[in-house]
Amino acid sequence: MSDISLSPAAAPRAWPRLGRMYRALRPYLYLFPALACFIIWIYEPLGRAFLLSFQQWNLLPTSPKIWVGLDNYRNIFDLPKFWQALGNTGWYLVGLLPLTVALPLAIAIFTQDLPARSRNLYRALIFVPMIVPPVVGAAVWRWLLDMNHGIINLGLQSLGMEPVGFLSDPDLALWTITFITGWKLIGFAMLILSAANAAIDGSLIEAARLDGASRWQVVRDIRLPLLSPTILLLVLMVVLLGAQWSFAYIHVLTEGGPLGSTSNIYYLLWQFGFGSLSVGWSSASAVILFVGFGLMAMALFALKARFTFHDD
Amino acid sequence: MKSSLFALTALAMTAGVAQAEMMPDAVTEPVTITFYNYNLSSAGNGADATRKMIAEFEALNPNIKVKGVPVAPQDLATRIQADIVAGQPVDLSQMTFAALGFATENLGAQPLEDIVPAAELSAHFTGMVPNGLELGRLGGKTYGLAYTFSTPVLFYNADLFKKAGLDPNTPPTTWAELKEMGLQIKEKTDALPLATGIYGPTALDWLMQGVIRSNGGEVINADRTEMRFASPESIEAVTMLRDLAQTGIMKNLSITAQMEGVAAGNTAMYLQTSAIQGYLLKGAKDNFELRAAAMPAFGDKAVAPSNSGSALSLHATDPKRQRAAWELMKFLTSKRGYTIITSEIGYLPLRPEIVDDPEYLGEWVKANPLIRPNLAQLEHLVPYVPLPGPNYLQIGVSMMDAMEMATFGDNDDVKGILTETQERVQRLLPPQG
Amino acid sequence: MTTETTNTPLHHSRRFGPGGWETGLGHALMILASLICVFPIYWMIVTSLRPENAIFSTRLWPDAASLDNYAYALKAVPITQMLVNTFIVSIAVTVIQIFTGILAAYGFSRWKFRGSAILFAAVALTWLVPLQVVMIPNYLLVARMGMIDTLGALILPHFASAFAIMLLAQSMRSFPTEVIEAAHMDGANHAHILWHVIVPNLRGTIASLAILIFITTWNEYFWPLLLTRSPENSVIQIGLQMFITSEGTQWGPLMAASTMASLPILLVYLVLQRQVIASFMKSGLR
Repeated sequence: MSDISLSPAAAPRAWPRLGRMYRALRPYLYLFPALACFIIWIYEPLGRAFLLSFQQWNLLPTSPKIWVGLDNYRNIFDLPKFWQALGNTGWYLVGLLPLTVALPLAIAIFTQDLPARSRNLYRALIFVPMIVPPVVGAAVWRWLLDMNHGIINLGLQSLGMEPVGFLSDPDLALWTITFITGWKLIGFAMLILSAANAAIDGSLIEAARLDGASRWQVVRDIRLPLLSPTILLLVLMVVLLGAQWSFAYIHVLTEGGPLGSTSNIYYLLWQFGFGSLSVGWSSASAVILFVGFGLMAMALFALKARFTFHDD
Repeated sequence: MKSSLFALTALAMTAGVAQAEMMPDAVTEPVTITFYNYNLSSAGNGADATRKMIAEFEALNPNIKVKGVPVAPQDLATRIQADIVAGQPVDLSQMTFAALGFATENLGAQPLEDIVPAAELSAHFTGMVPNGLELGRLGGKTYGLAYTFSTPVLFYNADLFKKAGLDPNTPPTTWAELKEMGLQIKEKTDALPLATGIYGPTALDWLMQGVIRSNGGEVINADRTEMRFASPESIEAVTMLRDLAQTGIMKNLSITAQMEGVAAGNTAMYLQTSAIQGYLLKGAKDNFELRAAAMPAFGDKAVAPSNSGSALSLHATDPKRQRAAWELMKFLTSKRGYTIITSEIGYLPLRPEIVDDPEYLGEWVKANPLIRPNLAQLEHLVPYVPLPGPNYLQIGVSMMDAMEMATFGDNDDVKGILTETQERVQRLLPPQG
Repeated sequence: MTTETTNTPLHHSRRFGPGGWETGLGHALMILASLICVFPIYWMIVTSLRPENAIFSTRLWPDAASLDNYAYALKAVPITQMLVNTFIVSIAVTVIQIFTGILAAYGFSRWKFRGSAILFAAVALTWLVPLQVVMIPNYLLVARMGMIDTLGALILPHFASAFAIMLLAQSMRSFPTEVIEAAHMDGANHAHILWHVIVPNLRGTIASLAILIFITTWNEYFWPLLLTRSPENSVIQIGLQMFITSEGTQWGPLMAASTMASLPILLVYLVLQRQVIASFMKSGLR
């Protein structure tokens, strides 16, 4: 992906072979601390989980490991809610992408051109949801949206409207949770995009303006192309992590209900796998999650390689 | 790099194979035992009272130190499992009834009959409600001693009753009456007539078992080998609940939203564990009058309320630690123990003689009459049957999903939904043989 | 192209002109968005000041504000100690993750090497491994190291973060090659280029990243939960959970504790945000 060539200056000339070896190993040395951490704490246990997903065992050395083949997987795919949750996961994505990518992008670009004081104020206010613990954010929204005593519904009623079951109507609950997840994350995405936006070389923009480019043209022809790597990174994050981000809100607000309408794949697998003691279920769940989303990630990486522009 | 890990834990576990050695008569040397406790994992009365009991116990038994390990109830079994595998000592636990079966089969919960001298055991059991002792028995042996446990009660908002033109002195005693009153409340007030703790994955089936058994059905057979929740009696019970949902008397709200609705004074009746009484009373203070009645019956059939809460399970395998843990267990379920549990945490006493004894609960019960309907139900209490095998949670959640669908869903075919699910879930039970 | 010295802040040239009504609409929308973002937090603070029987009140301000909930929360749970613990853990994790992230990002962005694409994918795919699956094996490892009930065990598994690596690699790839080449010409080695040329210029990104890592660590719940044996050695999220039980949540104290738990994050945001702004002011100079 990078087209920066190897540097000519750094090799010690007296030891050509050692120098070559060092040069060949150098990238790996830089990666070593991070990769070692991932291997020890994530991939090694994941590999073990893969084996355990074909067994039924409770981890205790005194009890037998029973080889059950694909039973754990079959049990999960047999859950009537599995396909519903998979579909819901898609809907969450449809809702989350605008809220956590497009909207923060618009805010970052708009506020970039404001005077320092109002820019900082807006950004700080938009960031505020990030500072509250998720359970508390969720609980406050539940009160504000409650059908009987929430002030949003009291407001709607005073306008002569019927109270809305934001969290109890199966057609609405998913969108309510999407909104709350997005509300919590706008500040996150905005911060990343603002930093990337601020790193854009100001002279490029100034030059374009001197050439008579309109504000929209500057955004379209300079800012968006230069922000595209960051935007794609955010899209990748939302696609891969969106289901986990919604978890806390599903857990606190609906537990996947009403009638399974807010359960997503991560929540379902948590409920049947990770949340319980059965190592077989949870390992199989992890493998399904890893492989399923992993394929999506690969597709996105391919896209990213095609559509990313670099400032060089 | 962890390849030797299991060899290591296997070593730690060789002591874990149960042996029938009896414990010594007394603790003669200093010993520290662990007590996995969920009351300690929250702030407030439960934790304060637990610490108080432990302190009193340590004062009486200078050789025994108790290390309380705070774990939330839903994490308790996982945590004990992890600690056993990690070679940490697990001596005594406050096990939820839903996980009791799992604790017996997988977490080394010891049957008291096998480790405690018989005379001592029967002496301690004297004076305890037989029905209560049954709660912790599986296959005839006591794996858990009922500790903090409670029964379902029907809380109601007396002010909303009056507002709807109902007499708060005659709460509903049957589901038919409840429906009638609910319709009247719906018509005359803005309030939600009924909230329940029956549904929701965290409730699992404890309250549903009570409802279905009150109609003569059962969720699972007594041997815990066969799911029975699609029997005609269960279908009839769920159909009744579906009717309440269809007529708008109850709604499909999350368990917390319902609890908050009651505490805020927006719900007229609430079928839920007596354990949340303290929470409701705080919301009711200066706002409305909260009262409690027994769980409603199906016509003239006997009510069969089930229990929620926890039992004490002994996991220690070393005889000396077993003795120490048993001493703590005895203290926690003594007259003094239940007095603290009832008056300071709000659970039921398993020793009825202390209720009117001024030395124990006498004064307190006079000041807290809401406990009475709950105490009265003790006689009818039918033990909760823990779902079996390593998949017990998956069985419970799948079943409750189907129950929710059959009650609140668009499909009227209660029988079809329950039958289909029962067949699927039956496959998750441990194989017979 | 990078040596041009237009250090005029960008906004000056755009304050007037044909976009005026758009800017007005933009402000209106921003004010609305800000309100939606802030109101629930306002509600959290107001609720923390309400007495227990008025927790579900819908009045916009507390009738009789009291600090009772704060007093109770501080008494019931060792909040101060937990805040200190959480602060130590969060700072340590932030510093370590940024350090390992910078190294790995440099490795990925500077060289083409065998397996780089696969390793990069392996980094991103760590997001897909549910914590609950690796938690028990990791717990056993920590137990074997004798680190149960220590703050070190909370930091150890968080030595690296995929997000940090990917974001930093992204910014390093966008870093002007000319500057690096120029430094090479001057005889600088890789360590020098990384720490003295690239890193100072990525201040804005690093500061934003630090804010986000800090918050993520601050809000972490499942892993500390498994390790907790005593409240005094635990973190604030565990403390908050202590007010939430199946027998009813103590909302007043929870809101008070949450308000206290949010303040340090706000502080970190405000301090680091200055770095983000400062980096923006300098960006014209590059």
